[in-house]
Amino acid sequence: MTTASVDSSASTPTVSLPSVNSRAVGAILEPAIFLVVAAAIAVVEHAVQGPIGGFGPSPFWLAFWVMAMWSAWHWPAAQTLAASFTGNHIAMLDGRPAAPVTLAARELSRVGILYGLPLLAIEANIAPVLALMALSGLVIAKAPGRRAPWDFLAGTVVIDDFGGPAAALERTEVHSATDLQLDDSRNRKNRRARATVLALGTTSILVSALIVWNIFSEAWEFFAADAFSWSSLQGIGWFPRRGIFDVWTLFIGTLWITGIAIALAGPVGLGVAFYLSEYAKPRVRRTVKPIIETLASIPSVVLGLFAISFITPQVLQPIDDSIGFASLLAAGLGVGILTVPIIASISEDAMRAVPMELREASYGLGGRRVTTSLRVVFPAALSGISAAFIVGISRAIGETMVVYIAAGGSGGAVLEYDARNEGQTFTAAMASLGAGTDSVAGVGIAFQSLYALGALLFVITLLLNVVSDAIVRRFRQVY
Amino acid sequence: MHERQTVSLDTLRARRGDDAAGHVFFVLITAAVGLAFFMVGAVGVDVVVEAWDILTERLWDFLGSPSSADEARSGVSQGIRGSILIAAIVILTFPVGIGAAVYLEEYADDTWLSRLIQVTVRNLAGVPSIVYGLLGLAVFVKGLDGLTGGRSVIAAGLAVAVLVLPVIIITAGEALRAVPTPLREGAYGLGATQWEVIRTQVLPAALPGILTGTVLGIARALGEAAPLLVIGAVGFYTTGNQDFFEQLRGAFTALPMNIANYARLPAETWRGHAAAASVVLLILVFLINLVAIVVRARISKRLGR
Repeated sequence: MTTASVDSSASTPTVSLPSVNSRAVGAILEPAIFLVVAAAIAVVEHAVQGPIGGFGPSPFWLAFWVMAMWSAWHWPAAQTLAASFTGNHIAMLDGRPAAPVTLAARELSRVGILYGLPLLAIEANIAPVLALMALSGLVIAKAPGRRAPWDFLAGTVVIDDFGGPAAALERTEVHSATDLQLDDSRNRKNRRARATVLALGTTSILVSALIVWNIFSEAWEFFAADAFSWSSLQGIGWFPRRGIFDVWTLFIGTLWITGIAIALAGPVGLGVAFYLSEYAKPRVRRTVKPIIETLASIPSVVLGLFAISFITPQVLQPIDDSIGFASLLAAGLGVGILTVPIIASISEDAMRAVPMELREASYGLGGRRVTTSLRVVFPAALSGISAAFIVGISRAIGETMVVYIAAGGSGGAVLEYDARNEGQTFTAAMASLGAGTDSVAGVGIAFQSLYALGALLFVITLLLNVVSDAIVRRFRQVY
Repeated sequence: MHERQTVSLDTLRARRGDDAAGHVFFVLITAAVGLAFFMVGAVGVDVVVEAWDILTERLWDFLGSPSSADEARSGVSQGIRGSILIAAIVILTFPVGIGAAVYLEEYADDTWLSRLIQVTVRNLAGVPSIVYGLLGLAVFVKGLDGLTGGRSVIAAGLAVAVLVLPVIIITAGEALRAVPTPLREGAYGLGATQWEVIRTQVLPAALPGILTGTVLGIARALGEAAPLLVIGAVGFYTTGNQDFFEQLRGAFTALPMNIANYARLPAETWRGHAAAASVVLLILVFLINLVAIVVRARISKRLGR
C-alpha cells in the first residue's frame, strides 16, 4: 500500500504517456466502429422487419455524428483502443496496470454508454434517455482527473498527458493523507457505492419524470389532432370509438362511485377508528386491527367479483329488483369496501396522536367517554381525519377493476344519472378502451383519448394529494 | 399511550344507566366494526362458496390447464405463470427502489431538490394504477418493443415494477430513517467510511423494515390488474411450442386478468371459475404476507431486538 509500483511485471518500470497521435488514432477508430455498429444494426433491422427509416442525413443523426466525433477527440476514454495498440495507459486507481478483464469490462460499459444509450434514444424516441446522456456528460465534467462514467464503473483511470491522475503514478511513496486517499481501496469502494446509489436514485426520478412527460404529451396530441373538435366533448354518452367523448358522462359515473364509496366507507371507517383508538383495550386492538387491515390486501378484482356475485344478488336485488347484472350502485359499494381500511387506519393514527392529557382534562371536567371522543378527540384529530377522507376519495376515484367488472358499460356508456343502471368512470372507461385489441393501432383519436383521461385523472389525484398534505401541515397541532 | 388507566365518570354513569348518548355511540361504533368484520368474512365465504364445485371436483386440473372456451377444461395455468413472471421482474427491479431510498435518506442533503423528489415520490404512490398502464403502453409496449416484444409479460412486469417503485422507496426510506443515529455515529467514530457504515450498520438494522416493504410490494404487484388490462393482457391465448424467451415476448395473461375475464363473461356458469381463480390469488397473497411476517420476526430475533 505504501508504494505503488507502476508495472508489476519484470519489464521496464516506465509509463509511456499517450501522445497526440494516439488521440488521433482514437478519433479515427471511434467513428469507424460506430459506423460498423450502426450498419450492423441496420442490416439486422432490415432482415427482421423490412426497410426502416435508414441512416440518412436527418438532423438527429447529424447531431449524433458530431457528438461521436467530438467525444472521440476529447474524451480520454476514446483512447482505450488506441492505447491497446501503443501500450497500456489504462491503470487502476492505485497505479497498477488494469487487468485484461477490467479492460474488457471498461470497454463494454463504454460502448454501452456511448452507443447503446443513443441507439436506445433513437429506437425508443425517449427524451429521458437523452437526459441520461446529458447527465453522464455532467458526471464527466465534474469527475476528478476526467474519469468518464465507464472509468467509474471499471474503477480505472486513463493515464493522460493532462497532468491529472498520471501525476499520481509518479509518486512512489506516501507523503500525505492525499496519497493514502488515492490508494485506499476502502475510499474507492465508498465513492463507487455513492455513485451507484446516486445512479439508482436518478433512475427512479427519471422514471417518474417519464410518467408525467409521457402522459401529458400524448394527451396533448388528443387535443391537437385534426379529428378533435370541442363539440365532440358533448354528446349522448362516452363512445370513444365513434368519436363521441362526452366527459360529463364519465364525471357523473365517477361522482356516483366516489359518493357511494365514501357514504359507506366514511361512517364505517370512522366508527372503526373511534373503536380502536378510544374504546378497545390494547389486547382487543391487537386482534381487531389486523383483521380490518386484511381488507386492504384483498386484490380489487376479487372485490369486483364480490360485487356481482354477492352485493348485487344478495343485497341490492332484494331491495329493488329492477337492478340488473351490473350497476353503478354495486360497484360503488365494492369500492367502498376497499376504502374502509384506508379511512380507518389514517383516522385512527390521527386520533391516537391526540395527547392523553386532553382526554384526562375532559374526564376531569366530568366529560363522558362519548363526549370526550366527539368533542375533544375528534376536533383535535380533524386535520388527520380530513386527510384520511381525501386519500379515500382519491383512492375511490382511481379504482379501476371493481368498476370495470361490476358497473358494466363495455365499449361506451350512455349518459346516466341513475346509479341503479350501468355506467362508467374515468378509470373504467380507460380500462375498457385499453382492453380492446385495436387500441394500439389507434382508431381515430380514441387511443389519444385514453391519455387525455389519464392526464385528467393524474391532475385530480395529484391535487387531492397536495390538498391533503397541505391540510395536515397547516392544521396539525404539534403537541 | 392508552396504557395509563383513567377513571372517568362515565363508568359510574353507565352503571346508573343514564348514559344514553354513550350507549348509542358505543352501539354505532361496534356496529361499524361488525360491518367491517362482516365485509372480510363475506368476501372470503362468498368466494369460497362460489368456487366450491371447482375446488372440490377438479382443483389440480384447474391449476394445471390453460384457459379454454370449454368450461369443463378451462383453468388458470397461464395466469399463474404470468403472475409469477411479473413478480419475478418486479423483484429484479427492487434494488433500484432500495438504492433510491438509500440515496435519499443517507446521502442527499436537505435541499429543495431532494425535498421536491420526496414529495414527488409520495404523490406518485397515490397515482391510480391504471395510469401506470398508460405509461407501460406508451413506453414499454410501443417505445421499447424491440426489447419487450410489444404486448408481452416483460412490458407488463416493467410497468408494474414502476407502479411498485414509489411504495418501495417510501417503505425502505421509513425503515432507514428508523435506524438510530448513534449507531451510525459509533461506526464513524471507529473510522468507517460512509459506505461501510451503511453496509455494516444501517442496512442490516433496516433490513426487517425493507423486507416487509418489498414483500408487500410483491403482494401489490400480484393483485394489480388495471395496468395489465391496458398493456394488453388477454383472457385466452393458445400456447404453442414456443421456447421460454419467445413466450416472454408473446401473448400473456395473469391471475387477476383471468378473474376479470371470467367475471365479465355474461354467463353466470363462469362465475365459479372467477371465484376459484380468486381463491388461488387470495391464498398466494396471504402466503406472501405470512412470509413477510415470519421473515421479519426471524430477522428481528437474529439482530437481537
